[in-house]
Amino acid sequence: MARRSRKKANKGGLPLPLILGGGVLLLLLAVFVAMGIKPGGSSANDPQGANFSIPEYRLDASRFTGNSYRIEGRVEHIETMGNDRIVAISVKGNKQERLPLLVRSGVSGRVNLTRGDQFVFDVVCRTGRDASGAEVKGVLVVERVETK
Amino acid sequence: MNRNKILLCLPLLWSGVWMQAAPAQAPAAPTGTPAMPQPAPQPAAQPAAAQPTAQSQPAGYVQEPYASPNEPQNPQMFGMEIPLLDPSSDTVSYNGAKFDVGNNALVRARFEKYLQQNPENSSAARAYRRKMEELLKVTQRTARTRKEVGSETLLLIGNGLYEMNEYPGDAGQSGTLASAIASAVSVQYANRARKNKNEKLEAQINELVQKTNFMHNTNALRNRKTVNSRGESRGGNTPPTNTFLMAHNTKRIAGMEATSVKNDADNITQTELSKINYQSVLVSFLMNRRFDHALIGACSYRHIYRDGDTMMKLDKESKASELFEGTAGLPPTVNSIASMAAGARHDVDQNMDAVANLLAQNRLADATQHLIQAVAIGEYMKSVATFPVEGRRRIAEYWSLRKKALSSMNARDYGTLEQISARMKELDPDFDDSMLVSYCTARKQQSDMCLRNAMKAMQAGDEEAFNRHITEAGVIWPRNPNLQKGRERLEKLDNQDPVREEFKTLVARKDFRTIYNEQERFEVVAIDPNLKKQYKEVITLIGTIDGMLEQLDKVAEQDRVMGPCMAYETLLERREQDERFADDSAFRDALNRYALGAHDFVKALEDGAHCEERGEYGSALANYYRAQCLYPRSAQAEKGARRVSEVILKSKF
Repeated sequence: MARRSRKKANKGGLPLPLILGGGVLLLLLAVFVAMGIKPGGSSANDPQGANFSIPEYRLDASRFTGNSYRIEGRVEHIETMGNDRIVAISVKGNKQERLPLLVRSGVSGRVNLTRGDQFVFDVVCRTGRDASGAEVKGVLVVERVETK
Repeated sequence: MNRNKILLCLPLLWSGVWMQAAPAQAPAAPTGTPAMPQPAPQPAAQPAAAQPTAQSQPAGYVQEPYASPNEPQNPQMFGMEIPLLDPSSDTVSYNGAKFDVGNNALVRARFEKYLQQNPENSSAARAYRRKMEELLKVTQRTARTRKEVGSETLLLIGNGLYEMNEYPGDAGQSGTLASAIASAVSVQYANRARKNKNEKLEAQINELVQKTNFMHNTNALRNRKTVNSRGESRGGNTPPTNTFLMAHNTKRIAGMEATSVKNDADNITQTELSKINYQSVLVSFLMNRRFDHALIGACSYRHIYRDGDTMMKLDKESKASELFEGTAGLPPTVNSIASMAAGARHDVDQNMDAVANLLAQNRLADATQHLIQAVAIGEYMKSVATFPVEGRRRIAEYWSLRKKALSSMNARDYGTLEQISARMKELDPDFDDSMLVSYCTARKQQSDMCLRNAMKAMQAGDEEAFNRHITEAGVIWPRNPNLQKGRERLEKLDNQDPVREEFKTLVARKDFRTIYNEQERFEVVAIDPNLKKQYKEVITLIGTIDGMLEQLDKVAEQDRVMGPCMAYETLLERREQDERFADDSAFRDALNRYALGAHDFVKALEDGAHCEERGEYGSALANYYRAQCLYPRSAQAEKGARRVSEVILKSKF
């Protein structure tokens, strides 16, 4: 399952607990509003990325750009070019979908990605550029892999 | 000419037409009028080539009246090697000779009438034949005795003949013979009367001679008494003489001598005339195949004319004299007639025995031949007239089949001919139909080959060759069922211009389906070499599409989940390979139908493509993966995924 980590919010200082609690509530409200506008967006209450929707990703992946996700899935297919790989994983509960992840060389570390095994991927949705400079939008780039 | 040949001549004489000659003198061409309607006209050179000569044509072979130039002569079939009438050419073949009988139809008609008649088994017929046998015995018995003219035997024969004359089937023949006998006997009586008269005249002449001689002597004596020894007359009155009486007697004697000579001459003349008359009746009986009457008349002849002269008084130039050419050059006699009649009766009886035996063995062909010969020669014989009706019916059926076979052959209706041959084979297991079947098969194949050539000519656009081949096929086998197809193609040829224009219009509109659905109508455009290629391409294309759609339907029916996906993707691939596929309505309909059935798969592919166009490579790759999940063997999805993956892998993030 995907588990999302958000950039750390400020937790320092010793304001009044009530003020702090209200601030947190406002912050959470802002986050919820933001997630309503951007479905793939991060949420402090969705650390596993349970709301990551592959069908929505298929429709418009660029909307997920900049978001990080922790996604658990089973490797179904691996496409290799040099040391870089594109791994197609299936997430639990949706066997009719495949989610493509770009695994750059060295990212997996000592983890050996093999077909049929479960892994946890920390991914970021990014937009890159090809050799001609054209945008390559909405690609989930793996930053770290853990064995499940 | 042997006896059989003589017997063969009899029915021909009876029919009023004499045999023409042996093969060497036989005419080269049959003279009979063809019985069947004449088919398509033949080339001008045909008759000379088709008409065989008697020397070159094997015995029994019959020239087909309307043979085409290259058509072989009819094979020997239906057993025509024995003296047999050939209805197709009005000829009779026997011992290798072919005789033109001209009026063959008359003989044939009598044979057919005979087959349809009931046997003459009535009480009157039996009494007639019993009487005939009695008379034959009487004449043969009395032939060894010496009876006088007008004897009881001749009276018995005459009365018997007059009794037989009352039977309708006798046709007055017995009365004719009886009259001839009576006439001959009357002449004999007249001769005898003249002979008796001559005898009386002779006596009278002798008496007159004696009287006249006495008168002459008396006169001489009286003259000596009136003249002395010296020659001087004594004077006084002249003594009376019988000079005038003697002259009168002399005149009477001369008259009686003349009368006697005249009577003798009359006897000779009347006898000869009577013989000629009687012999002509006998010859007439022989020619009319009334052998019983001929035999009775010949036996009676020797008792009517006691002079021992049995020579026939025939004119050497007459056709009747040719009857007796087979007597080794010896002069014909009444005994010859008796011999011929007895021989004919024997042969006819033998033939009828053979017919009965052959029928018992179901050998109808041979039985028919023997019966024809028996009927032709001895139609009035007891054995022929009493032939059972069952046998007549069987032979009539076989005879009818043979006539139909000949007619079918003349009409070149080989299909019917084979059916008839099969039926004849059923009736007569010994009937050899191999040559007939081979002949029919060869002719049918020849006709079909011409049709095939016509088809090739049409496909090659050679209308002239097409017409030639189709005509040739019709000449060989006019009732060839495949000819109808040729005629339809001919009609199409006549209407090819509008069809050609319509074809061009449909091709321009890319409406190939309409051409395919009416391909038989548009096939005629193949005559045009330019349109032929288009026609073939259209037929091949739509045929391929239909075949493909049929197979896809079956697969989609078997797997309702992935089947439509496979079918859709297959149609997409074929459309990419050949743009003409997209022009076919059936193809488009099928593509839409399968797209609906594989909606998710199609949407995934289309979304993938759209995302790829927008640079949304992540979404594009996810869509292609989605399509692969729905149909793992999808080549479209695999290609798209590989293409997008390559872009992503080569990009920098």
